[in-house]
Amino acid sequence: MPLVKRSIEPRHLCHTVLPRGIKNELECVTNVSLANVIRQLSSLSKYAEDLFGELFNEAHSFSFRVNSLQERVDRLSISVTQLDPKEEELSLQDITMRKAFRSSTIQDQQLFSRQSLPIPLQETFDLCEQPPPLNILTPYRDDGKEGLKFYTNPSYFFDLWREKMLQDTEDKRKEKRKQKVRGNDRTLETEKVPRAPHDRKKEWQKLALGAELAEDNSEEALKEREANGSATYHDRSGAPMYLEGMDGPFSLAALPYSQMNELLNRPGDRMYTRPHDPPPLPPMHPLGDIKPPSMISSSSGFSDSRPQSPAQMHGFNSNTPPPPPPPLPPPPPPLPSMSSSGPRGTPPPPIPPLPVQQQTPAIPPPPAPLQIAPGVLHPAPPPVAPPLHLSSPARLQQILDKGPPPHQSDGTVLPPPPPPPLPLPGARISSPCPPGPPPVPSFLSGAVGSPASHSSGKKHSASLPPISDARSVLLEAIRKGIQLRKVEEQREQEAAKHARVGNDVATILSRRIAVEYSDSEDESEFDEGDWME
Amino acid sequence: MAGQEDPVQREIHQDWANREYIEVTTSSIKKIADFLNSFDMSCRSRLATLNEKLTALERRIEYIEARVTKGETLT
Repeated sequence: MPLVKRSIEPRHLCHTVLPRGIKNELECVTNVSLANVIRQLSSLSKYAEDLFGELFNEAHSFSFRVNSLQERVDRLSISVTQLDPKEEELSLQDITMRKAFRSSTIQDQQLFSRQSLPIPLQETFDLCEQPPPLNILTPYRDDGKEGLKFYTNPSYFFDLWREKMLQDTEDKRKEKRKQKVRGNDRTLETEKVPRAPHDRKKEWQKLALGAELAEDNSEEALKEREANGSATYHDRSGAPMYLEGMDGPFSLAALPYSQMNELLNRPGDRMYTRPHDPPPLPPMHPLGDIKPPSMISSSSGFSDSRPQSPAQMHGFNSNTPPPPPPPLPPPPPPLPSMSSSGPRGTPPPPIPPLPVQQQTPAIPPPPAPLQIAPGVLHPAPPPVAPPLHLSSPARLQQILDKGPPPHQSDGTVLPPPPPPPLPLPGARISSPCPPGPPPVPSFLSGAVGSPASHSSGKKHSASLPPISDARSVLLEAIRKGIQLRKVEEQREQEAAKHARVGNDVATILSRRIAVEYSDSEDESEFDEGDWME
Repeated sequence: MAGQEDPVQREIHQDWANREYIEVTTSSIKKIADFLNSFDMSCRSRLATLNEKLTALERRIEYIEARVTKGETLT
């Protein structure tokens, strides 16, 4: 329905009630009509003035732009004449040393907000009935929100969208960080080429073993061809499926991971015929295969892979002794720096030194239990609840996989473990503000005793259930201590973010897209002033 | 009768004349309003074309500036 922007006011000239006691009615009507004509002319002139004013404003802004463009063209022409082709520097330093070009284009945003309403429409709007004056009650509210916001809030949907975008950027950032650390630990996963020589070795070995295993050879060759040829297909299908299946900190958002998962899921059982080689195993590890590991009695640790670094590290450590020592030296030095950076996650043995160090720096952190780089850990407090919830299914998954492994997909892993994890989140959440130091010293003594048990527990022995209970209790207490700090820092971060971002749609969207698609490591150090216009 | 007709007729004639005058006035007002609307529309369309050209020019200049200028070295 077209909205009338301006209307000439007295619409009907002579639809008025004639006063009584007039002798010459025709004259009266004529005079009334003429008076209304004059009023119509006045509103017409107001209409015209408004119209020309809007056109003038637009043209005026264009004149500014044209002038600035003219200046830029002049400057460019001068600088072009100064260009000397012989002066071209081809040094590689320039590429890195020079500041990147920052475009200064302005994008149109917030086009249809209350502020951009044209004046005549605003006047029409003002003629409407006002909403009830609920803002009178604002000083009496406890939560500081405006009273009218509960009745009508024009910016409601935009605020909702903005919160969602900011949250998504944070989630993506943390996923990237996790993947980075995971990638540092297992660089072989992203390289498909180094695997090829091992495959051929395997093939030759099997050929040597006998013709009966020639079938396996052809299957493996098929799988390799599949891996190479259908990699792009996996890109599309593998990544979305995997992403949708698992959310939050568990989604393997990196494409290589999902590709690998698809590759490994397709051949199914065949993968498990060659777990003897430790190097190819780490690639298989994080891919969360819950396929029938019937062949994996000895290498059960590999099949227990789930998309969680702590559990992976457990299996990792149990089966591949060389990798753990390299992570060990880095964590203690970064620990003092990382201890202030808030989010910590789930691995039970590394956690005890963490809060200890944060609160009593005099106590040297025992490096031995620290087998996981801090960056791997899970980020925010709300996601801490699901990671806590799902980390114990991860641990229990190990137990499950050891037994008769059901053909479970990732989604069905959760139903069997839910009863045990329930007490854990419950115990953690029920304590509102536990004092940090008191639980920590008590767990410090427990931590001293537990590393020994934890290191033995990491080898997937049959004593998993008691150790996991001890771990979970420790985990909870540690998380309580950590959570306090995390929440404060998060609040500060969020407040700062809200102050910074404002209503800049372009900034929010661009930041989110940058985090999603960029592979660079310095995303968190983006200068926000560059994005804001 | 003729005497009665004259004043009434005169009044009616006068009334008709007034109405015609008012009608002419209001139709001119409508013509002015129509003219203003069409002027507004055409002006806006021309300004929009101008805006497009300006934006295209600005982007090209951005590109050329990016190509030509040497960035400052990061200290």
